[in-house]
Amino acid sequence: MSTEARSGPHPSSDPAPESVPLGQRLFDNWALLLVAGVLIMALIYTGWGLWEVATMPPATLP
Amino acid sequence: MATVLDRPGQPERADAVGRLFRTCSVTGLRLHGPAERLIKANAVVATVALLIGGISAILILLTRWQAVHLLGPVQFYRVLTAHGISMLIFFIIFFEMAVLYFACGPLLNTRIAAPKLGWFNFGLMTLGAALVEAMIWTGRADVLMTSYIPLRAHPLYYLGIILFAVGALLVCAQFFATLAVAKRERSYEGSLPLVTFGAVAAAIIAVITLLHGAATYIPTFLWSIGLMNVDPQVYRMLWWALGHSSQQINVAAMVSIWYLLGGLTVGSVVLNEKISRTAFVLYILFISMASAHHLLVDPGFSSSWKVVNTSYFMYMAVLASMLHGFTVPAGIEVGQRLHGVTQGLFGWVKRAPWGDPGFSSLVLSIVVFGFVGGITGVTIGTEQINIVVHNTLRVPGHFHATVVSGTAMAFMGLTYYLIPLIFQRKVAFWRLAQVQPYLFAGGMLVFCVFMSFAGGFGVPRRHWDITFSQAPFEQAFDPAVDAVMGIMALGGLVAALGGGLYILITVWSVFFGQRFTDEERLCGAKGLPQGLVRPPRPVTVEDEVNLPNGKLGHAPGTMVLVLIFLAAFALYYFANWKLLSFVWKIG
Repeated sequence: MSTEARSGPHPSSDPAPESVPLGQRLFDNWALLLVAGVLIMALIYTGWGLWEVATMPPATLP
Repeated sequence: MATVLDRPGQPERADAVGRLFRTCSVTGLRLHGPAERLIKANAVVATVALLIGGISAILILLTRWQAVHLLGPVQFYRVLTAHGISMLIFFIIFFEMAVLYFACGPLLNTRIAAPKLGWFNFGLMTLGAALVEAMIWTGRADVLMTSYIPLRAHPLYYLGIILFAVGALLVCAQFFATLAVAKRERSYEGSLPLVTFGAVAAAIIAVITLLHGAATYIPTFLWSIGLMNVDPQVYRMLWWALGHSSQQINVAAMVSIWYLLGGLTVGSVVLNEKISRTAFVLYILFISMASAHHLLVDPGFSSSWKVVNTSYFMYMAVLASMLHGFTVPAGIEVGQRLHGVTQGLFGWVKRAPWGDPGFSSLVLSIVVFGFVGGITGVTIGTEQINIVVHNTLRVPGHFHATVVSGTAMAFMGLTYYLIPLIFQRKVAFWRLAQVQPYLFAGGMLVFCVFMSFAGGFGVPRRHWDITFSQAPFEQAFDPAVDAVMGIMALGGLVAALGGGLYILITVWSVFFGQRFTDEERLCGAKGLPQGLVRPPRPVTVEDEVNLPNGKLGHAPGTMVLVLIFLAAFALYYFANWKLLSFVWKIG
């Protein structure tokens, strides 16, 4: 079908199967992408956020 | 370059497995029976959730429209809870499960892994959803979708969400297992097709989302039965990693559908694999951090945490959306030009199949998502501007443009192709189906824009009565607010009519629709989208060589549209800083 992956309008620019570029190999590795996605979120959003809440000084009540 | 091979699996398994396949006469895809049944089941339940959410939407609309003010306060918050959960969680995620099965099974020409597990997952999700709906409608969970602690719902409400989330997480596992099966059985060669790669992005974001959902709801369930305490600030942070990220699953799924519909309807091409895949990877790595937008006025987090999450990292995902926002329409334009539609800057727009609801839904989804949802989202997600936006109607004005006008519209467009391709039926009420996307998108556009206007006047979101009639203090909004809210309601009612038509058309088509033969299809029988009646012919090398390359590149029309988009973006962004200066005077 026409939604199959294409490399652009000039087929001659397709890489040969035997020399798959590093970037393509990384992108093909969904497990690596899964780990990277979970890890970045866990560190930057969740971990850092939890640390901020945990180290928040107690409020001084009036 | 990915090529889907014409073999179901290893030769020794072919006989056993092959009997479960049928070959689609239109696309040539080999469809695995168990996958098809799971796609159908998830799509049907998604439509039921849409119906519940849609009825709730009308009731909310007629309450927020101050001249009508239909529901009392208790009913209003109950219905608002049901609306949020039914639409943003159940409708969207059930449909996404269908998309995941479609992207990993038929698109990879393979069987899905562990189909029985699929039915277990479906049962778990349906049971969870039913429990949650039952708790809400019986008045035991009037906690809104966010269920902020210390608001306490019945424990079965939290348990229902946990069951639903576990089921969805297992579907993601099944999706990844199917990718492994396809690779092992070599049902495709090279990299995954782009649409499936987009679904991988959606599934990974779903895993991130659902893990945070577990971290939120398991302790909350224990809290609801008195076994532990939960810190409200921690709850808010974890909940939004579920609540906002779940909408980012939508974004990845929606963009995948854009690419799919572009190919099915007009034979659009992928301009550059690297660019499109990089954009999906940026989603995987950075889009979930947009959750911090909801915490921009929370005192518990430093500005560093807020700015790093919502700006430095999140803007990488914004960049990704802008890349897709260029590559999808440019792919449509180049596809059209490769098929001989080469007249002028916008000849490809003029000659596009606007009567095909799949195509019109695709374009309307891109336009409203980008121009309204995208621009408002980036702007109001800026820490400084957020201070005048937070908890006003500008926030739902934004996300209705993304989730409803963008995602739901794309899902609707895909449905008009799934009905003939998966359910093997004609689309019923064809004339209505052709009008439906315009009605829905037009209504939603008015609704979102005027909702944002109302928010600009300071009208709060999630509020039963903006006249504050029972409050001990007086609060009067600008008189223009009444008119703005009235127009918003009318737009919403038109959209609800469009949504109702969609449900009518899909339910009728699936359960009472006519089957069709290949002869009927090729003769252009009514009820079949033109992408199936006249499938775009494959592009040849000669077409590509003859593609004109002017000063604005291969896609000059899209370049002009993109420049208009960027101008609108800059104008809206700086206008908001100007608005901020009115309320935040310095010196």
